[in-house]
Amino acid sequence: MLPAFMPPDPMMNFLARCLRPLACLAVIAGALAAPAEPARQILVRAALSDDAAQQRELITSLTGRADAALVALLEAWRTDALFRYAPAEGTALVVQLTGPKDDEGRQAAVRIDTGAALVDAAGQPLKLAAGDLKAVEHTTSLRRAMKAVADLADLADPDPARRFKAVQTIGQAQDAAKLAPLQARLEVETDAGVRRVLREAIALVQLKDPQDATRIAALGTLKELHTLASTDFIKRALKEAEEARNQPVLTAAREALRAVENHRSFVDFFGTLFRGVSLGSILLVAALGLAITFGLMRVINMAHGEMIAVGAYTTYLVQNVFGTGITLPFFGLSLGLPGLDLTGGAYQTYFLFALPCSFLAAALVGIGLERSVIRFLYRRPLESLLATWGVSLVLQQAFRLMFGANNVQVSSPVYLSGNWTVNDIIFGWNRVFVVGFAILIVFGMWLVLTKTPLGLLIRASMQNRTMASCMGVRTERVNMLTFGLGSGLAGLAGAFLSQIGNVGPSLGQGYIIDSFMVVVVGGVGSIGGTILSAFGIGGIDQVLQQYLPVVAPGLGWVPGIGGFLQNLAQDAAVFGKILVLAGIILFLQWRPAGLFVTRSRSLED
Amino acid sequence: MTGASQASPRRSRIELTVVAIIAVILIVVLPVLNAQGAISNFTLGLWGKYLCYALLAISVDLLWGYTGLLSLGQALFFTLGGYMHGMYLMRMIGELGQYKKPIPDFLVFLGWERLPAFWEPFSSFSFAVVMVFLVPGLLAYVFGYLAFRSRIKGVYFSILTQALTYAASIMFFRNNLLMGGNNGFTDFKFILGHSLAEPATMRGLYIATAIAVVLAFLFCRWLSRTKFGLVQQAIRDGENRVLFSGYATMHFKLFVFVVAALIAAVGGALYTPQVGIINPGEMQADKSLEAVVWVAVGGRGTLLGPILGAVSINALKSWATRAYPDLWLVILGGLFVLVVLFLPGGLVSIPARLKALWGKVRRSPEKPAAAASDTQPASAKT
Amino acid sequence: MPHPLLSVEDVSKTYDGFKAITNLNFYLYEGELRTVIGPNGAGKSTFFDLITGRAKPDTGKLDFGTDPQTSQDLTLLNEYEINRLGIGRKFQTPSVYTEHSVWDNLVLSLKGPRGVFASLFHRLSSTDRDRLDDILRTVRLDAKRHWKAGLLAHGEKQWLEIGMLLAQDPKVLLVDEPAAGMTDDETDRTGDLLLSLAGRHSLIVIEHDMAFVKQIARNGVVTVLHQGTVLCEGKFDEVQSDTKVREVYLGRGKHGTR
Repeated sequence: MLPAFMPPDPMMNFLARCLRPLACLAVIAGALAAPAEPARQILVRAALSDDAAQQRELITSLTGRADAALVALLEAWRTDALFRYAPAEGTALVVQLTGPKDDEGRQAAVRIDTGAALVDAAGQPLKLAAGDLKAVEHTTSLRRAMKAVADLADLADPDPARRFKAVQTIGQAQDAAKLAPLQARLEVETDAGVRRVLREAIALVQLKDPQDATRIAALGTLKELHTLASTDFIKRALKEAEEARNQPVLTAAREALRAVENHRSFVDFFGTLFRGVSLGSILLVAALGLAITFGLMRVINMAHGEMIAVGAYTTYLVQNVFGTGITLPFFGLSLGLPGLDLTGGAYQTYFLFALPCSFLAAALVGIGLERSVIRFLYRRPLESLLATWGVSLVLQQAFRLMFGANNVQVSSPVYLSGNWTVNDIIFGWNRVFVVGFAILIVFGMWLVLTKTPLGLLIRASMQNRTMASCMGVRTERVNMLTFGLGSGLAGLAGAFLSQIGNVGPSLGQGYIIDSFMVVVVGGVGSIGGTILSAFGIGGIDQVLQQYLPVVAPGLGWVPGIGGFLQNLAQDAAVFGKILVLAGIILFLQWRPAGLFVTRSRSLED
Repeated sequence: MTGASQASPRRSRIELTVVAIIAVILIVVLPVLNAQGAISNFTLGLWGKYLCYALLAISVDLLWGYTGLLSLGQALFFTLGGYMHGMYLMRMIGELGQYKKPIPDFLVFLGWERLPAFWEPFSSFSFAVVMVFLVPGLLAYVFGYLAFRSRIKGVYFSILTQALTYAASIMFFRNNLLMGGNNGFTDFKFILGHSLAEPATMRGLYIATAIAVVLAFLFCRWLSRTKFGLVQQAIRDGENRVLFSGYATMHFKLFVFVVAALIAAVGGALYTPQVGIINPGEMQADKSLEAVVWVAVGGRGTLLGPILGAVSINALKSWATRAYPDLWLVILGGLFVLVVLFLPGGLVSIPARLKALWGKVRRSPEKPAAAASDTQPASAKT
Repeated sequence: MPHPLLSVEDVSKTYDGFKAITNLNFYLYEGELRTVIGPNGAGKSTFFDLITGRAKPDTGKLDFGTDPQTSQDLTLLNEYEINRLGIGRKFQTPSVYTEHSVWDNLVLSLKGPRGVFASLFHRLSSTDRDRLDDILRTVRLDAKRHWKAGLLAHGEKQWLEIGMLLAQDPKVLLVDEPAAGMTDDETDRTGDLLLSLAGRHSLIVIEHDMAFVKQIARNGVVTVLHQGTVLCEGKFDEVQSDTKVREVYLGRGKHGTR
């Protein structure tokens, strides 16, 4: 594809992206069919023309075709910086002077028609002094025409995203004067997204039209487009129609408003759904490791959060090694790590390398933890809880001493830092990625647990450790590897979480309680339950955050604490979280062992 | 170690004598030395803080050591007690705050002109005292009822209490709760008309704390010797069996949970005026776990262990945070791992261990098991 | 015909698709000593679990009480409420309070109020003490009354649990494999003890040891459970000569489910 069409700004319409190849083809095809006169040459013709009316006509014909460069030329014309240059032989030219002046006040000149430097017959650059030349003249009416062209310059920008923005801005200003250029642009516009916003802008401008029929038609268009941006304008039109007791317009406005409101709740719903799914994925990724260490091994690893942090810090290190290197405080030793000084695409791949590194680093720390502490505490869950909490304190402090007490900066690779907007619903790439990532991890874990010899050994040992060891399974080794696997998964989660949150010594603390909640609600020992509960908790949390601010102001009636509730609802995130926790406690009334129960026959289990 | 009905009267007498001596030192000797200048106000203040923490430790031990319920929410009850008393102390500042307004500074800062309704009654000391018991007690009752009714136990109980504490702490961190937000309550001036700047007032608070610790100790000692204590410890060792003996274990656990919350709340209420600040930082899950460390280090399932642990670890903390500020968390964490792994009986089990070791050395190494099994504390099943 | 003390009607219980009990009908009369036998997996322990409230039946009725007016539906009660009605159980694997002394184990089981405040202010009366002393002698743990129960031998724990059952003095005793881990002599004494209890109490005894069954089932009825339902019921000799029973016991390889 043509590199010039690559969007520098990722904030662009998804549909537009998909349609762009088509659009390009159309433009190219059009260009081949009828080679239009380049805008620059029209400008030059206008500048050389002596007929004011013709000049105006030529300039106005640039409307919707002028790009930024052309606007700069118009500006130059307006400020007397375009000069007429009549060479000894040949036709007159229009030039612009650039570069430093020499001793005689002469500067290098650029031809406007071609944009190339002005040269003499011998091909040597020709230098001219401004004083020797005559500036191209301009009249008031011409200047007005130029300004109108310049104002609409962005409409012809080669980048559809910028065209999109320009149209939006014009539409929201509701300036009737811009109606014609908009309509003109709509004729030639090929990008579907821009076409859509053009229609919206035209309709918005037409809302100001004195004719009822035009306004009703505009409202019809807005109803059909039902964009969120048009809400306020439709409301205003509705109010005006109400005041004017204009029944037909009123009806049309109401219908348009209803369509927009419907669309809004649709967007809210799916936006919430998506955010819920992505939060669920985050919870799932964070909790999966725990589902293994806690769920399968029944080890309460309070240092699980620190395993996540190990993964996040590993990502940080890999990033810096790919970049310019880094100097760590490292227990006061100021350890310098050299960097590979990669840039561009090579640097962007750091994240792909960081993933396995994070897994390995956390798995190794986990195995170390298992060998040194946890293996003495199987069958003593409360003790393992306490000892691993001790470990978590030590690790947190170690992070502080190694990487500093402040959060460190992990930058997202480009392929994780944009977003798509489909139908007004925003899909952040990192959020989309976390969903895919969660699916991948779950699938990978399922493969490991069901299709590999290690998985078989893990399942056997976890069901009946004594029996497995009687059958010749080296349960010690299996325990070690299982714990390593669980910790490694936490590390992967850390690599991921480094992309969507801060990386600091207490990173793990933010996830540990949520992770435990997910596993407990899902039913300890049930991976399927963990998945279900992660999405359930994530979804409910987002729904509460979305709708609490709507519902809470209506809670004033609650006796005694009504005002208090209204007050708290301003912190929807916090209040929602508390409600989720309360909900979990109530949920456990109904299903004390979580969603999926694993049974035992012994009296005390 | 378990039901004291089997402890010999002689041991019991020795134990009481030791306790009486310690009680006299704490309640009488230290304050007198302070009044005469032999102990600085600062040191006495530190001891007051340690003893408040001892109350928190006792509440943890009552649950964990004696009933097998590892609650990670005791710091919440402690802090709630502290906040309830703190509200009274905030009212007593009167118009001496920075803004010279009749309402607490942070409310002025938040743009309040009048006192919110629920703050009004806290001008009364007796109301605040009632709330010190009522609020944590009620919360413990409701939460305990829900948790025990659905038979949540073991690590699940721990995790849920931690979640409860977490939920409460994020709530108290918000300004909208009108409880001082991040900074909590501080700059107290008066309690019951006495200036908190007066050493005599602080001494009085210290004595009250010491008395509370001794009373809590005696209460737990009495409780562990009743049939209730037997049931409690039976629940720790095999709850289902207790159900099949006809005991509604839920009621027993609920009772202990509420009592423990009240003990912690008293500790918090005494903590606030002595330390001079109460904020949500005190109710984070870490604080609860720290209290568990004190109990583990002191010796869980024993009466003296939690007090010993709370005082010694906090004394260590006071020293270490000044001497090695970077390493304190490492020391605390490491200590904890070591105690869990190598000294499950805690500090109070050291004499018995030494005795067993000494017996082993002195006698031929034929029958060490008998000596050990006799003297080792009941390693509580968890 | 008097009304049964315990009637189990059409009870079924499934665990994750496994039918532990299927349409079980069972009636126990006051003062009766009933012996229940059956191969492994016949549902004997599940049967006790259902009576004591440890498990709830999927379908069916469990009624307790000789008076149909006041009889209680056991499916609506939980473990401790059922226990308080007077149904005591000795578990298959001895379950005593291992950290408590033998004496405290009995104190905990002693008949009497079970509430929180009753326990706080409970005092042993001299009659209570005498009774516990009696029981200690009966179960021959008199000398070890201060021992931690966890330190007792397997057979002694069995005795202690029987003692706990005696201390509780329930109407119905559910005894799960009392002779396991006992010497022949002790087994014999256990049998005598159970026989002496019949009449004043009602008993259901699960047992594998046929010699022991023969001893205690002298006068009473033997129920044979197989695959969660009653295979046959009758006097010991009748049951022993029943062809179905012989088949189940001899050729049970193919039915061994658990």
